Amino acid sequence: MNLNLTFRRRSLLASACALALAMVGPATATVDDAHSFAMEAAQSFVDQGFIVREDYWNGEVKSGVKLMVRHQLFKGNEYAFWLGTANDGVDLELKIYDDKGKSIEMDRKVDKNSMYASVRVNPPKTGTYTLVFSLKSHTEKSVFWALAYGYR
Amino acid sequence: MCRLGAAFALLAGCQTSLHAEGSSAGVQEFDPQAFPGYVVDDVVVPVPSEVFSVLDKLGEPNWRQEIRKLEMPSTGDRTLLALMFGTVVAEGFVAVQAEDRQSVQDIGREVINLSKNLGLSKSVLPHAQAILDAADRDDWSSIRKEFDRTQKTVQDQMEKMKDADLSQCVSLGGWLRGTTTVTSIITKSFSADRAELLNQPMLVEHFIAAISKMPEGTRKHGQIVKILAGLRDVLARMESAVDGFSHESVEKIGGVCGSLLTEIRTGK
Repeated sequence: MNLNLTFRRRSLLASACALALAMVGPATATVDDAHSFAMEAAQSFVDQGFIVREDYWNGEVKSGVKLMVRHQLFKGNEYAFWLGTANDGVDLELKIYDDKGKSIEMDRKVDKNSMYASVRVNPPKTGTYTLVFSLKSHTEKSVFWALAYGYR
Repeated sequence: MCRLGAAFALLAGCQTSLHAEGSSAGVQEFDPQAFPGYVVDDVVVPVPSEVFSVLDKLGEPNWRQEIRKLEMPSTGDRTLLALMFGTVVAEGFVAVQAEDRQSVQDIGREVINLSKNLGLSKSVLPHAQAILDAADRDDWSSIRKEFDRTQKTVQDQMEKMKDADLSQCVSLGGWLRGTTTVTSIITKSFSADRAELLNQPMLVEHFIAAISKMPEGTRKHGQIVKILAGLRDVLARMESAVDGFSHESVEKIGGVCGSLLTEIRTGK
């Protein structure tokens, strides 16, 4: 597999912008659009007191290929992760494992248009957790993605 | 997160399918060594307020007691300036936790000074102004957000200028300041739950790896050499805390981070 993954960060875009981008075809989709959808997913969490981090992961990946991110979580905080894509018709999967490789209980939701998925988790211990996720497109060979998080 | 802005992913393995199978009701197991996809070789370093928020839930720390007066030496050393910048932003998170308007304003002005010395004032000024304006309104959540934005803007700019090593120094300075505060609070009111917050070996390993990838000039910088030695010490203490951190180990970690912080802030 020689697919390059590009990682960049961008400032938050407004939800309205994200909605507008939803009408743009995949040919013009970008990683920034994926982040906009992740931020759209974050909005309802912000209303519940979650603080969204400015830093995030993003890139382009072959459809269906699994990606793994390691992240530090602190017991006592509640975390939410938002996986966004800029491509239509994508199945989103996201799971979290602890440092022993055990899956963590979490509340997972996918939006009806499948442009983003969210999970919320209360880490049982402070330490390193592994997020495994994939984006499977029914039409595209590769998809743009962004993964952001927040805490409260 | 990798701040090179470049294509960057590692293929961890392809010999097996993802090892994720049910082992008990609702529980799945995952073996990272047998992972068939891409490992995003990128670490997002938590901001200090992520740890501070837990400490708030576990008690009522005296945040004002944790604020340190800013007396940064004048220097043109960009490595040192980047380390200082990280510590100052982290100090901002402490001041927000303390809801100390004067300290936030002082820190906001120091952010401007350091960004000028780093040649990044144009990008940072809007954030610094937003911090000062929000401080006038005692709008602590906006200030917290703006400190996070400030750090991200500075690191993005550094990466654009091919100064990824400086960007890592910003993260390092911030982590050292945050950890010094966390250990100080835990030491004053020790409990296993509080001490567990120091279980951060992956972050320390990330910093050690980041230093090893820095250009030789940066790697051999006096401060970086000392920081690397300190991080190795801290990592050993974290890895040996299998049954939890003792009061003494928390003090030792705090001592290492505090000494490094003092050296950054005095420019020695």
